[in-house]
Amino acid sequence: MKNLTKKRPAFNWTAFLVLLLILEFVIFGGTNAKFLKPALLMTSANDFLPICIISIFVTFVMITGGIDIQVASIIGLTSIIIGVAWQDFGLNIWAAVLVAILVAAAGGALSGFFVAYCGVQAMVVTLGGSFLYSGLALLVSTLSSTESYQGISGFPASFRWITKYKVFGVVPFQICIFLVLLVIAYLLLHKTKYGRKVFLVGVNQSAAEYSGINSRRIIMSTYILSAVSAAIAGVILTSYLGTAKSDLGSGLTMNIITAVVLGGTLSTGGKGSAIGTALAAVIIGLLRFGMPLCFKVNTQYLDIPIGVLLVVVVVGRSLAGNPNVIAKFAKMKERFKGGSAKSGSAEA
Amino acid sequence: MNRTKKIFKAREMTSFLFLMGLFIIVGILNPSFMSVNNVAACFNTSVVYTLVAVGMAFTIFVGEIDVSVGSNLGFVATVVGSLLRDGANWGFAFTVGIIIGIIIGLINGWGVAIMKVPSLIFTLGTNGILRGMMYIYTGGAWVENLPKSFKDFSAVTLIGKFTVYYCCAVILVVLIHMALTRTRRGRYFWAVGDNAGGAELVGIPVVRTKVMAYVICGILSAAAGIIFCSRIGFVTSASGNGYEMKAVAACVLGGISLSGGVGTVIGAAIGAVIMASISYLLVFMGFSSNYDNAITGIILITIVVFDALMQRRAAVKNRRARLVARTAAGTAKEAGE
Amino acid sequence: MSGTEEKAAPLLSIRNVYKSFGLNEVLKGIDMDVMHGEVLALIGGNGAGKSTLMKIIMGIYTHDKGELLFHGEEIVQTRGTAAALAKGIYMVPQEPLLFPNMTVEENILIGFTQSKAELHKELVETMEEIGWNLDLSRKASSLSIAEQQLVEILRGILRHAQLLILDEPTSALTFDEVKSLFRCVSDLQAKGIGIIYITHRLAEVFEIATHVAIMRDGMITIQGPVGGFTREDLVKGLLPPDAEMTKHAGAVSVKNVDYSAAPVLELKNFSGYGFSDISLKVYPGEILGVAGVVGAGRTEMATTIFGMDKVLGGSVLLGGADITGRKTKQVIAAGLNYVPEDRHLNGLFKICDVAANTTSSALFSKMMGSLFLNRKAEHDVTQKYVDSFRTKVTGHDQLAGSLSGGNQQKIVIGRSLSTTPKIVILDEPTRGIDAAARGDVYSIIHQLREEGVSILLISSDMEEIMELADRAVTMYQGRINAEFRNDDINQDNLMAASFGILEGGADA
Repeated sequence: MKNLTKKRPAFNWTAFLVLLLILEFVIFGGTNAKFLKPALLMTSANDFLPICIISIFVTFVMITGGIDIQVASIIGLTSIIIGVAWQDFGLNIWAAVLVAILVAAAGGALSGFFVAYCGVQAMVVTLGGSFLYSGLALLVSTLSSTESYQGISGFPASFRWITKYKVFGVVPFQICIFLVLLVIAYLLLHKTKYGRKVFLVGVNQSAAEYSGINSRRIIMSTYILSAVSAAIAGVILTSYLGTAKSDLGSGLTMNIITAVVLGGTLSTGGKGSAIGTALAAVIIGLLRFGMPLCFKVNTQYLDIPIGVLLVVVVVGRSLAGNPNVIAKFAKMKERFKGGSAKSGSAEA
Repeated sequence: MNRTKKIFKAREMTSFLFLMGLFIIVGILNPSFMSVNNVAACFNTSVVYTLVAVGMAFTIFVGEIDVSVGSNLGFVATVVGSLLRDGANWGFAFTVGIIIGIIIGLINGWGVAIMKVPSLIFTLGTNGILRGMMYIYTGGAWVENLPKSFKDFSAVTLIGKFTVYYCCAVILVVLIHMALTRTRRGRYFWAVGDNAGGAELVGIPVVRTKVMAYVICGILSAAAGIIFCSRIGFVTSASGNGYEMKAVAACVLGGISLSGGVGTVIGAAIGAVIMASISYLLVFMGFSSNYDNAITGIILITIVVFDALMQRRAAVKNRRARLVARTAAGTAKEAGE
Repeated sequence: MSGTEEKAAPLLSIRNVYKSFGLNEVLKGIDMDVMHGEVLALIGGNGAGKSTLMKIIMGIYTHDKGELLFHGEEIVQTRGTAAALAKGIYMVPQEPLLFPNMTVEENILIGFTQSKAELHKELVETMEEIGWNLDLSRKASSLSIAEQQLVEILRGILRHAQLLILDEPTSALTFDEVKSLFRCVSDLQAKGIGIIYITHRLAEVFEIATHVAIMRDGMITIQGPVGGFTREDLVKGLLPPDAEMTKHAGAVSVKNVDYSAAPVLELKNFSGYGFSDISLKVYPGEILGVAGVVGAGRTEMATTIFGMDKVLGGSVLLGGADITGRKTKQVIAAGLNYVPEDRHLNGLFKICDVAANTTSSALFSKMMGSLFLNRKAEHDVTQKYVDSFRTKVTGHDQLAGSLSGGNQQKIVIGRSLSTTPKIVILDEPTRGIDAAARGDVYSIIHQLREEGVSILLISSDMEEIMELADRAVTMYQGRINAEFRNDDINQDNLMAASFGILEGGADA
């Protein structure tokens, strides 16, 4: 019997994303050489790092066929808990961080429980969650002696160190955190049995049950993962800004979902990759950085290119999957071949 | 079925009773709330939510969603506001606003119904594009100095303490409800969301119905934008942000199922009043407005979880009853009883 | 046969119809006629093109070439079903496509142009005329499948349909429901309505059809009045021309089962939803057939053993150990696996590759790695089943959804064997797959028996039970009502017991 092994697919979404990324470097770098300065590039990453970190874990949720729009509110919740626990309750800063992450995990678990075990639509539960957690963040902020609009600041140097330290003097430490998380997410999703189960549950939950997979637990766990990633992003953002505020990251939901979808995750579940999402998040981030720098585009206009990118990608993908279009392309190819053959024979 | 019984069994009735219960509880805890002014204010402030939520309801009926309503509202508010500021007449400005709404609806409908892109994702894209266009249009500046007559019109009351806007919105919602329930085509919206395959088989134009739902949603969001402009009196570049979430929440509170095919526009309107009243009511209950979001979230989650559990229990019960009826033991038992 | 037909122009005639999707040619020149008052049974395997043809008749798809005449007039090709409905063609789909959140009345009357009051009157009259009783204010979600089909048929009648298409209407019905459906079909036929009756069951053809047509691979292979064909003719029409009927003559007792050994699986007064008081034993290396009609509680029994539903009483012993009410994962680990009846719903991960499908059930075991997925083990397991089942795949990375029905079934069977079970429950293992693949599945089953794996074979196909089983029981209305051995396992006995006519069986 011939031994069948895995073959590489002819067209690869990740390759397309890499191409897009290279294109960004060529265009932006060609327009303004400043874009290519490593130090500047690294600093710019601070602005979109939370999107990158969270979106790679929201990918897990979307692969199971769900969606998580509460992550943005968890960033603020984490931030304010750290601030209040440290300043007003006198906790050690690292203990405060731990408490914040645990609260976030519990929040993710609660929403995940409702989605997985009660069968409520993920969109509604996490919509409710986004209200609940942003509301809780506000309430936590009232426990503080500091007015909430000012934010809590004056964190110890050890905490600020997370985002002050530069590896080899160039690479900000938080980028390393992101890379480590990316590796973890990649291994978890594509190399472990857990990741395989996440995919199987997303493709066909019932068949997964018949395979002896506890699909509910898997689904719930993905919401915990995404919430914890949001908490980590909250810690980094708080450290970077030096201020704990309850509304940190509140506008990021759309960016995160865009990154996950652009990364090739199927919104109906069952398909997606950590690398793809990370690439897409970086593409979006660089777009946000490069457009103002090289084309003097006001930062507030940046929703347009990102929106256009999203719409073009999804419409293009829908067209590419349409059998009529595929047939048309095949015919065009044939005609092209036939035409060139004919012209060849005419020349002869 | 008995008509009154039918009304009481309706899902939006629960929402209505919930709203009334809310008013009564607040009234008992703080009698000063129980004035016509306060109750009317709850309804009046909900007018923008009402229109957006009813528009959103259409897209949810057909089994989709439109998260671009917030930017639609903001963009229309910007354009109409600046036209009025520059002295255009009201009719012209409103027409432009509504036409923008129609165009946005057509684009969303094209992407979702014809190109078959998942609606959440497509409208997320148009949401970003619209938000950006808003900045381009204004250059990031606020739209201010609107004509005083336009701003003042938002306070004009028609019936009792109810504003012209709210009365018009209520009349509109009732008319839409009648059109949906009394006409042949009205039921198409639910049919498409309930079972798109089945709808196609009985000759319902699924694609056209979906596009129609988006166009209606676009128009109503545009109308909400115009009223927003009049009520608030200025438009910032962040205006309308987050309204999509509030509209979805209002729909869910009004008994509309996000899986499509269930609910009424009246429910959406009641849900909008609940959404708008919560912060107002909390003040009277001695809570600061800080509690708004947390309580909204808790109410939302409780309702949907409860609803899902009830539905699931009924489904399991049905299935098991049917299975038992098939067995010889079940048949014997039935015969014995 | 058919009563009041005049030899006039056919109701529907299809001439030389072609259709391709992209590069895939699905219909290759279909010619077919349906007369008034004719029940045309249309038979064909999955992928034969039946549903594509029906969708073309309904106007959901447009054909590439050929013509469709209804009453001698060309059906104008518009995208959408409006034209077909207006002309009086109605299709009752296999899965009734009702609107679950609407009432029965709303479901029937949606899409009409007349006034509601008028329609309501007509509906009530129609129901009285046929003698059906349905509460019009019930929500469609509360209807049984048979009732849903009645609603669908009412929709068609109210549209004054002259051609009714029934797509596998009996596939989800209980025995009584089938009987009432057949009565309804003959009523409609007597009224002169033409019916296209799509089915997989040859027995039904002889029961209610006047004419028969067989489709295979986008073409019609056999067509004509039912009287002109025998069962064997029809089977031949379903097979590819070069394939020979795979007869495993004398399959029984190649190796004798040791009935004195301890049973592998034992059910003691096992009860649950849909079945009750089941007691049976399966011995090492034995194939126990479980016959019965759809809805007799066989699948429910199997899925309840498998940890999918609540146990109401009794116990399940696997190799002597009690596994009653265990979770699916624990049941699999204990050495039992199940190949589900509905391959698409519960078996296959369509957009996953062959390897992920094959190993999905074995993921819990250490063999597949502890934390990280053992790629080598994955490859070996997949290769083992691809080889031994002769599954046609382009590679381990081919998506399961792109395989043919037979190969998909082999993947699902491979999955259940990858956990090295002592006993496998096969639930309708050959439903909806072609004859060649059926032969392959049979040899897989024989091979397993050789290896000493016990098999509980649930099948509605009596011939399948006869060919494979060492011993057979029948289930009727949720209980085991008969047991047969050796020569007593024959069509007459099984059929009689399945329909509750024979009790007890011929015990050895």
